[in-house]
Amino acid sequence: MSDRHEPGDDTGRRRGTGLVHGTDLAVTAVLLAFAGWAYYLTTGFEEVADLFAQDVPPEFLPRLLIWTIVALSVLLPFEHLLKPGGRAHFDEARSTPIAWMAWLTAGLLFLVVLSIQWASTYLALIAVCVLLPLLWGERRWTIIIPYALVFPTLVMLLFSKLLGVYFEPGLLGIDFR
Amino acid sequence: MEPILEGFSLIASPFNVTLIFAGVLIGVVVGALPGLSSPMAVALLLPFTIQLEPVPAIAMMAALYCAGTFGGSITAILINAPGAPPAAATALDGYPMAARGAAGRALGIAAISSICGGVFSLLVFLLAAPLLARIATSFRPMEYFALAVFALSMLASISGKSSLRNLIAGAVGVLISTVGIHLTTGVERFTFDIPELTEGINFIPVLIGLFAMGELLNQSQKLDAVYERITAVVVRLPDREDFRRIRGTILRSSGIGTFIGILPAEGATVAAIMGYNEARRWAKNKEEFGTGCPEGIAGPEAANNAATGGAMVPTLALGIPGSGTTAIILAALIMHGFRPGPFLMKETPEFMYAIFIAMLLANIMFLAIGLVGAKVFSRVTLIPRALLWPSVFVFSLIGAYSTGASLFDVWVMLIAGLVGFIMLRHGFGPAPLVMGLILGSLVEESLSQSMILLDNQWLRFFESPIVNVFFALTVIGLTWPWLKALASKVFRRTPVAEASGE
Repeated sequence: MSDRHEPGDDTGRRRGTGLVHGTDLAVTAVLLAFAGWAYYLTTGFEEVADLFAQDVPPEFLPRLLIWTIVALSVLLPFEHLLKPGGRAHFDEARSTPIAWMAWLTAGLLFLVVLSIQWASTYLALIAVCVLLPLLWGERRWTIIIPYALVFPTLVMLLFSKLLGVYFEPGLLGIDFR
Repeated sequence: MEPILEGFSLIASPFNVTLIFAGVLIGVVVGALPGLSSPMAVALLLPFTIQLEPVPAIAMMAALYCAGTFGGSITAILINAPGAPPAAATALDGYPMAARGAAGRALGIAAISSICGGVFSLLVFLLAAPLLARIATSFRPMEYFALAVFALSMLASISGKSSLRNLIAGAVGVLISTVGIHLTTGVERFTFDIPELTEGINFIPVLIGLFAMGELLNQSQKLDAVYERITAVVVRLPDREDFRRIRGTILRSSGIGTFIGILPAEGATVAAIMGYNEARRWAKNKEEFGTGCPEGIAGPEAANNAATGGAMVPTLALGIPGSGTTAIILAALIMHGFRPGPFLMKETPEFMYAIFIAMLLANIMFLAIGLVGAKVFSRVTLIPRALLWPSVFVFSLIGAYSTGASLFDVWVMLIAGLVGFIMLRHGFGPAPLVMGLILGSLVEESLSQSMILLDNQWLRFFESPIVNVFFALTVIGLTWPWLKALASKVFRRTPVAEASGE
């Protein structure tokens, strides 16, 4: 991605040329909000018993870290000034919005995990081995079906039989042990 | 001599050698596959190794670490897509050489340089680790605190988009490590009345989420990527002329890589970039670099493999991870009930020698695999992504779940993955956060113990000369990247290659 702008191109203006990097300013805002929330949580820690009064209080390190995060975060919007590539150095990976496929993938994975308790771990794994390839454009059923049946079964057998891990059996009571 | 023999006997069983071989195979495959990385593979392997004895578990992970670094060079050379970040510099000259029809020669140079770098660093590991551990036995909590702070400050200079972002991620990692019951006072912190959080956040789901899930979401955006492939490879060992040309580069890069590896937090990517840049700086034929120069392959390959052995030195001798991957190995050691550091070296030296022998064996194995199977391993990129990444998810889910048989950990993994994906977009790498997470307990414990010993008087920290040295190094570590950036801005100097990865 180039940092130069053609005449009439207002990309630079929209992104905020000059001292402050607009996107990093937003990142700083998120970090400061996180720090503020974390600091607020530290104010709710229980009082320490007198017996432990000589020890470092439980909120000490978290607060020290929160202040460190705040101090470093406020420098973020100016960091591009020190990079040889300028703002392009940081904008390469985020020049395009997050692809809808990433959101769909994340959504699918959340649904699969959500289904484990009633559908069982095994069926959830089979589901992901069918649905994710389909979502990502794979249409060769002759590959998908054997893969979705064999791979999760082998992994489940390895962890259940060999390593003795107990998995959610779900409503169908599928237990590999 | 006795601990070395004991270490050898710990490794010399068919089961352990098979596990090391499996680690090497997985490492080469993972290294060769763009998107998959050694830290991710080690994180996914961690739940499986929990069930093993400590020696084979750590030996397998160490073997994967060594082989993964080499595996990246195969795809860097053959398809100009570094399988792992440490191999990025190898592609600069490896691919042009392969494109000229000398892919076998390029792979041969990479394999020989890698093993030389690896063995060199292991010899340094053998000498330096016990020495460092002996020095560290005199460390009190104050010195450990200063050392941990120094290690965190080194995050400023590890590879990645920016020093600032690395430091922020490291601080967030330490903050996450404070979740749970405070060790000395018993007060609950950030637990939200969730019983699973009272003992703190489990390392493994976070590691898997950051390294594997984050990359899975990243890969979902690259489904159309196509690689230009160079086929018909017969790996050829370097001839006399090549050896003459690269021997100095290998030696220099092995030294650089080992030194970079020993520095806390610095990984193989930084070593490879420095190895490449130094090879170019010392070369008489600078203009050949970028067109398929043997030194341009030998430099980064010797350095990145040397960094693996180097990184094990602070990990085992001090309990301070030398890189992102060794941070996960450190977590594995802790999960196996070890407290890595000088006492581990003092009380069970045979353990360290067993790891040394395992890594040496791994180097020999990946050389053989590289020579015989490079052609096969270059084909792993033919595995459809639409099947590869669901498999990664299956391992991630099972891995996150199996450590505590808890669905809560699976949710932690998913959330860590989503956070890691967004972090990566904004230049925050997962490795610094993991370093912070793993060093967090050492920071807090040593700080608490120090303050008790020092009667809560901060200034008494500076009474210890070792503490002063570490604090001075911390200041240098924190300011160096800024000074360097400022200098390059003022003098308009641009590095030949830049790092982004572990």
